[in-house]
Amino acid sequence: MDKTMDDIIREGNAYACIQCGRCTGSCPSGRECGLRTRKIIHMARVGIDVFKTEELWDCTTCFTCQERCPKEVKITDIIIELRNLAVKNSYYPSMADVPKIIIQNLYRTGNGQPLSPEVSKLRSIIGLDKEPNDIAKDKEALADFQKLLDGLPLMRWGGI
Amino acid sequence: MDYAFFPGCIAKNVYPGIEKATRIVFEKMNVGLHDYPYSCCPPPGVVACYDKDTWYALGARNLALSEPDNRDIMTICAGCYGTLHNVWHELQHNDAKRAYVNEHLGRIGMTYKGTSRPIHFVDLLDGMRDTITQNKEVDLDLRVAVHYGCHYLKPTTVTGENSESPMLLDEIVGLVGCKSIPFKDRLTCCGAGGGVMSGEPELSLKIMERKLKNIKKADVDCIVNICSFCHMNFDQSQKKLESFDIPVLHLNQLLGLAFGVKHKHLGLHMNLVSTRDLVKKVKGAKKGRDEE
Ligand code: SF4
Ligand code: SF4
Repeated sequence: MDKTMDDIIREGNAYACIQCGRCTGSCPSGRECGLRTRKIIHMARVGIDVFKTEELWDCTTCFTCQERCPKEVKITDIIIELRNLAVKNSYYPSMADVPKIIIQNLYRTGNGQPLSPEVSKLRSIIGLDKEPNDIAKDKEALADFQKLLDGLPLMRWGGI
Repeated sequence: MDYAFFPGCIAKNVYPGIEKATRIVFEKMNVGLHDYPYSCCPPPGVVACYDKDTWYALGARNLALSEPDNRDIMTICAGCYGTLHNVWHELQHNDAKRAYVNEHLGRIGMTYKGTSRPIHFVDLLDGMRDTITQNKEVDLDLRVAVHYGCHYLKPTTVTGENSESPMLLDEIVGLVGCKSIPFKDRLTCCGAGGGVMSGEPELSLKIMERKLKNIKKADVDCIVNICSFCHMNFDQSQKKLESFDIPVLHLNQLLGLAFGVKHKHLGLHMNLVSTRDLVKKVKGAKKGRDEE
């Protein structure tokens, strides 16, 4: 179900944007970096390939802009869709190594954040099972999960 | 009352004190928590931002696991809640997406029906105020800075919350004798989400630093959160920044203290930022009560 730039703009109601800048003014990330939310929406609307810009990856997806937009532009939803488009077109953020490790962990153990021997020890100190009672322990469930993941687009686009 | 328990990878694999505190506190309140072979939610930051369809399918697998037992799913992290609740919400009214996830789940002999709802534990606590008061052994008498977590509150079209002036968490800490202290920009993001903590750690730290400065001015005994991911960010970032030492407690750890549970059983000694002074203060309050 691949979306085009046009789908993203329309579904996200970006044409309703009046460029008031409330989104930029609300952005916790833009205070600390070059992300200008209003500009992202503007660029998307005028047909610039905004999915190629690095700033897209500065958004914490906090949804504050989307909540406050007076024209109900689904700003954060648009940013997430633009990231999906970026990944499909191999425009990875420059520092995507850690996310890649998270995806590898997800495939290998069922958890983006796997259990370490140190934490396993901490778990038993406070009276929990050494290993959580989850997918990493249930080998059959893990095999099914990997089979599921094998056929999903992330493995195609995720670059692993 | 019985729920499927979704601890999430941070509470299981990084801060197990949160998982333990949750099990203790809910057992005391007579809520049965049941385990399932869950994968991680999957993370909204990395998986949803890379490929949303994969996010829907993996989220639906988790949601479907407790459907045969008719159990709703209790989450203790705003990130997990954000994923599971958004996936559930979308699949309620998007038939094409539901068909898509079922086509994939069918490959491993599973079906998604949407009959088990995800619930954030703080919404569950909302309806259990009397039970909380009944289980309280200590009035904690702490000044706390509460942190809601973005994906618990927003987007409100999905969550139905009030994202600009929520009060629930402030009220719940009040039930156990804590005072929620207002501070500047109290509802802003902690900086961890959207893959920013993993992808751009320096930016994430800057967002957090501003937040911590505001909290420090409020002169609180601790930060109380309802999100394991924010919890990790608050605790680890203070260690990295070196200029803060505000103890960080997940709400279930705070409730554990109020229910008279020993701090070591709640894993408070496993935080990077020391909780020693805080624990001492709570012990003082407990002693005062015992002598009365
Ligand atoms: S807040 Fe909404 S209308 Fe205003 S600039 Fe941002 S997207 Fe456009
Ligand atoms: S969702 Fe992203 S762009 Fe919008 S306010 Fe939050 S960090 Fe900024």
